Amino acid sequence: MSHSPGQSPGSREIEAQLIRRACEGDGRAVRTLYDRYAPRVYAVVRRIAGDDDTAQDYAQEAWIRAIRALPTFRGDARFSTWLHRIAVNSALQAVRKEKTRRMREVPVPEVVPVAPDVGDVLLERKLEAALDRLPDGMRKVLILHDVEGYTHEEIGTALGVTAGTSKSQLFKARAKMRRMLRGFEASAKEVEAWSV
Amino acid sequence: MERMTLEQLARLVDERPTPEEQRVLDGDPGLRRELEALKEQSWSLRNLPALLPPVGGWHQLEKELSAAGLIHGQSRAAVWGKWMQVAAAVVLFIGGTAVGWVSASQPGLRPGGGESVAALVSFDQPATLAEATALVEQKDLEFKAALAEYRHLLLAQAGAQPGQNPAARLPYIQTLAAATHIAAEANPGDPWINSFLVRVMEEHEQLQRRISLDNWN
Repeated sequence: MSHSPGQSPGSREIEAQLIRRACEGDGRAVRTLYDRYAPRVYAVVRRIAGDDDTAQDYAQEAWIRAIRALPTFRGDARFSTWLHRIAVNSALQAVRKEKTRRMREVPVPEVVPVAPDVGDVLLERKLEAALDRLPDGMRKVLILHDVEGYTHEEIGTALGVTAGTSKSQLFKARAKMRRMLRGFEASAKEVEAWSV
Repeated sequence: MERMTLEQLARLVDERPTPEEQRVLDGDPGLRRELEALKEQSWSLRNLPALLPPVGGWHQLEKELSAAGLIHGQSRAAVWGKWMQVAAAVVLFIGGTAVGWVSASQPGLRPGGGESVAALVSFDQPATLAEATALVEQKDLEFKAALAEYRHLLLAQAGAQPGQNPAARLPYIQTLAAATHIAAEANPGDPWINSFLVRVMEEHEQLQRRISLDNWN
């Protein structure tokens, strides 16, 4: 993982106190932790989920799991790293469950085609949109590796695949993203040409 | 090797090319541009910002945590609930103009179905519609001034100078945001309250982004 230690000893101590209070069920302490980390937790589960509605459910589930597991947090790793792992594992497990459920109901296409949002010229938006359009397996690997900084070995453990499979999925995902982004660029140029 | 596929190029984002691959790259500026674009793509992905969770996410979570017996006690939002009730009542009073005032001042009539305005806000009874209108306008100005002053005091209490502890400021901004939301819901057409709400929400969003970055980096 690439997260660098950036907390001062003072803020670590404050956080340790918060965690102790949260373990005892103090709602305000839990709220403070939520306020601090909700954007990052939501970001990772949103990208894994691929849509807002599912992401909300995954985020809730991740937080409930984390608060339940708080007494097991020993402080060996940073709280943010520990929480991040829970969020990733919780979202991956939820995706697996959902996939199994959908397979029982109706077959779903591997890729859901969505018309490109040609009016959106912001790179971040384009990246997020392209991520949402990647097939599940590729998206998970790309998010864990390129966005979250996991190694292929860590991804293999999280997804139950070999490091080699993770690599191969990553290269496919990067190539597919590139093709999609090229498509966005072409569409944007077309719009510009029309608007002249 | 005649040419490289995008997938082969994607491997070279974080691996060194073989001599043969290097030879192909050296001879093809188009491939080199694609490789640069792939590297830029990975860099941009690594630097994607955190995403703000949907508004109301905490309240839903709080309910579930309480139901599961994982938390107890009131959060700050609940502690400030009474204040928000007053704010909502004042706004309902203002939004309802004279009709709102008349119904609020009559026993049994409660604007918005909640606690009566008269029970929460005291004022002199006007004798005519014109006086009532003037009183409404005056209370409108007083409320807006009070909301602005409230913001000022909250931020001062939280040490709200730029660069100071954003985590300490957050609960205050959230309280203010919740109160302003109630005000805006009760009086959706008021441009002042709406612009105030936008400012508070912008501040809230910036603060959350900063806290998230501070905690993650």
